[in-house]
Amino acid sequence: MCALSYYLEAAGILTTGISLVRENAESMQPPRSLWVPFALGRPLGKPNDTAFQHRVIDAALSLLAAPAGPVLEDFAEEAPSTPVEDAPACPVSFANPNSNAETWTARLNAEHIQLQPWYELGKRRRKGRSLVGASSSTLTEIMNRLGGLLDRDTLPTDDLKGFKLAIEDAKTFYLEALTAQPGDYSAQKVEQILWQQTQLGAGLKRFYDRFSAIPNLAIMARLIASRQAIGGATGDEIEIKSLPSKED
Amino acid sequence: MVRLADLPEYEREHLLAKNLPPLGPLPWHTTTKALSAMRFALITTAGLHFRGEPTFDFADPTFRPIAIDRNADELIMSHSSANFDRSGFSEDVNLVFPIDRFQELVADNTIGSLAEFHYSFMGAGLMPEVYARSAAQVAGLLKQDLVDAVFLTPV
Repeated sequence: MCALSYYLEAAGILTTGISLVRENAESMQPPRSLWVPFALGRPLGKPNDTAFQHRVIDAALSLLAAPAGPVLEDFAEEAPSTPVEDAPACPVSFANPNSNAETWTARLNAEHIQLQPWYELGKRRRKGRSLVGASSSTLTEIMNRLGGLLDRDTLPTDDLKGFKLAIEDAKTFYLEALTAQPGDYSAQKVEQILWQQTQLGAGLKRFYDRFSAIPNLAIMARLIASRQAIGGATGDEIEIKSLPSKED
Repeated sequence: MVRLADLPEYEREHLLAKNLPPLGPLPWHTTTKALSAMRFALITTAGLHFRGEPTFDFADPTFRPIAIDRNADELIMSHSSANFDRSGFSEDVNLVFPIDRFQELVADNTIGSLAEFHYSFMGAGLMPEVYARSAAQVAGLLKQDLVDAVFLTPV
């Protein structure tokens, strides 16, 4: 963002905007920047809070009146939040018989079938909005692909981009299903459920570990999950039976 | 919240590694126009595009235009980073790409107008200088669209 501010302002276009990491803006010194104390991924603070979003925008637009720069101001408000205990409960129980199925493919497909109605409910609540669809595959195709790779204990080294888009679609499908009910969700709590309670989380952690162990592909592990997400998932939460692997 | 002191050390180090020096002497453009007369464009580095359009690569300095007459609720994301929350954007496109908020600012005459096209980049994995060429292309397009100012959002 700092680079775009620099080049656009140099081309004669006024720039102002949001900074999520104050230290980066202090260092690169874009012409005008409003630092906000919000989570990464949430530059306007809170979804569906029109008044709050307008206050953020107004603060950033006010920087256009500064007589000289660089201007780096701090937004004074924290994003409104709901106490974790008040957030809607996860509608899905992942303790089901299919979690003991023999293969990853079977377990992932069972989980997909279990989540599909919740995904549809969530999509309806969001008036049809869904972020699933970056890959060109259906969720069934994605689950079969991920399950097949895990069952064969192989990595998709010939199509890393397609693999990344597929796992993002899968993660998005899960997150949108887990937030099917109306209410303010804790993004952190929903992520914890994904990584600690689901077969998909366990499978992705396995991909993460496998990529991490290969020096020239270790960066791919970081594109699967943040270390923060993986750090909260030990893999012990889900009993993985009959997993065919070279290590077994 | 993103206060570095609140993050695990490895995430703090990851973000601090992006503390780079300024690209050059501070560019500083001014205008005599009032805010209420300015034409705005939105630019995000969130890796947004419409379903079916080319996705972003792992490290990719290209950009995608977002026409004002398209339904922004149909925007999706192919950002390569796994280090930010996407659930908020699932709930509300305006959290990252505040097009409805800016339409409201036009309606109440806070700003003058909105550009015909807005732009999305994918901010990850590249040194800042790599964006020079595509930023110059976007600057040219913005000038054709008579844009005075841009509002930038990261993720």
